[in-house]
Amino acid sequence: MKFSIARFWREKQAHYRLKAAKCKSCGRVNYPPSSICRYCGSRDLEEIFLLNEKAKLLTWTIIYSVAEGFEDKRPRIIGLVETIETKARILAPITDVLPEELSEGTILEPVLRRINEDGEAGIIHYAIAYRPVIKPVGRKED
Amino acid sequence: MSFSEKKTGIIGWGVYIPRWRIKLEEIARIWGFSPTTHKGLMVEEKSVAGKDEDAVTMGWEAAKNALIRAGIKPSEIGAVWFGTESKPYAVKPSATIIAEALGIVPETMATDLEFACRAASEALRISLGMISSGMIKYALVIGSDTAQANPGDVLEFTASSAATALITGPSSEAVAVFEASYTYVTDTPDFWRRAHVPYPLHGEGFTGEPAYFKHIIGAVKGLFEKAGLKPSDFDYAIFHQPNGKFPLSVGKKLGFTREQILPGLVTPYIGNSYNSSALIGLAKVLDEAKPGQRILLAPFGSGAGSDAYSIVVTDKVLEKQDKAPKVKDYLDRKTIIDYALYAKYRNLILRIRG
Ligand SMILES: [Zn+2]
Repeated sequence: MKFSIARFWREKQAHYRLKAAKCKSCGRVNYPPSSICRYCGSRDLEEIFLLNEKAKLLTWTIIYSVAEGFEDKRPRIIGLVETIETKARILAPITDVLPEELSEGTILEPVLRRINEDGEAGIIHYAIAYRPVIKPVGRKED
Repeated sequence: MSFSEKKTGIIGWGVYIPRWRIKLEEIARIWGFSPTTHKGLMVEEKSVAGKDEDAVTMGWEAAKNALIRAGIKPSEIGAVWFGTESKPYAVKPSATIIAEALGIVPETMATDLEFACRAASEALRISLGMISSGMIKYALVIGSDTAQANPGDVLEFTASSAATALITGPSSEAVAVFEASYTYVTDTPDFWRRAHVPYPLHGEGFTGEPAYFKHIIGAVKGLFEKAGLKPSDFDYAIFHQPNGKFPLSVGKKLGFTREQILPGLVTPYIGNSYNSSALIGLAKVLDEAKPGQRILLAPFGSGAGSDAYSIVVTDKVLEKQDKAPKVKDYLDRKTIIDYALYAKYRNLILRIRG
């Protein structure tokens, strides 16, 4: 699958570090970031990064008819997650998990993954996916 | 005697091990090896990176864990050095991808280093020089590999995937201080991979005595002589771990006991993760170490060379140990896969891609 190198490069802060836009008027967080709040229409937004936040799995879909270039990742799991503190809603691949292991409310954390590549010779597309948190052994989770 | 290394130490450490494992007996089953071949290696399973993982993504997670433990701002890091022999691009630095994805750019040095399994250790020594000279305050050193082996070659039993990251900086902030270091290299034909060849080859008869043993012993004895140290001065000894047997054997030759070596021996559970092989042993020891303990670290890389470090743990280690997932947490997160799934995950199945 071909994708635009220029577009990905422009959007890399959203793909790599979950750059988002927090609305100063309604308080909601827009991801991907935009200059107009998609919840209230305000143009008064500030830049925030969601990379250090865990998230809750709200819903997900298992894709068996994958797009060209994703055959080796079949089935793909795409989830709608909500970050715990900022309540941002993010659509992202869910990884390191078997479909039967997922349930609503599963706590996830963002990880950088190799999402796609432009054939054998082209650019590799890295972006954030979510996976169930690594559980500490014999220690309290914070 | 005091060396300039003393001004430097480890500020944070972090690791990553993928979820998937393949048993060595499964690899033996596929290729018809005698069951005794892999039993001699003292490795049960090896870790396998998933379909959406590579040296960059694994290095990123190890580095993120190290940053959490260090408790510094990403922008304070003055160098990102990535040691690997499985970089996703032949030309295009992995270090800049990780630096960008962690918010370390643009005011930083960044490059990938290559020296078989020892590149990250060379990066570590370079960082000690740059920090002690005052040119930079902190460096991020990453060893990460999705180690490749020719299917059916004995190397396939152990070539595995994992990453370790260390943030080095001033000794006043360190969880462990470098006391002294020493490097020993020669030109040795034990293991290599030519350009455009997908898998490495090894020189028969060269991997053990003239490569692994000669260089590690050379480096450790050099360190002992330089710093006036002996095996009984150390609480832990961590060597490069191509299998479970070699580290115990080289340790014995140098006068270390099994009790000093076993806490830092990770290869029996995940195989040889190349640039992360010795460093993940150090990370496991830091996960459990107590203030005042002394650690010997001796990574090795084919081609060939070894570095020996004497590292003394400080009381700051205790407040950092629980801040990020430990080696044991990643070891316990595992799912066994069969050879077919492993072959798919590691791109061993030939297919035409659009
Ligand atoms: Zn709004």
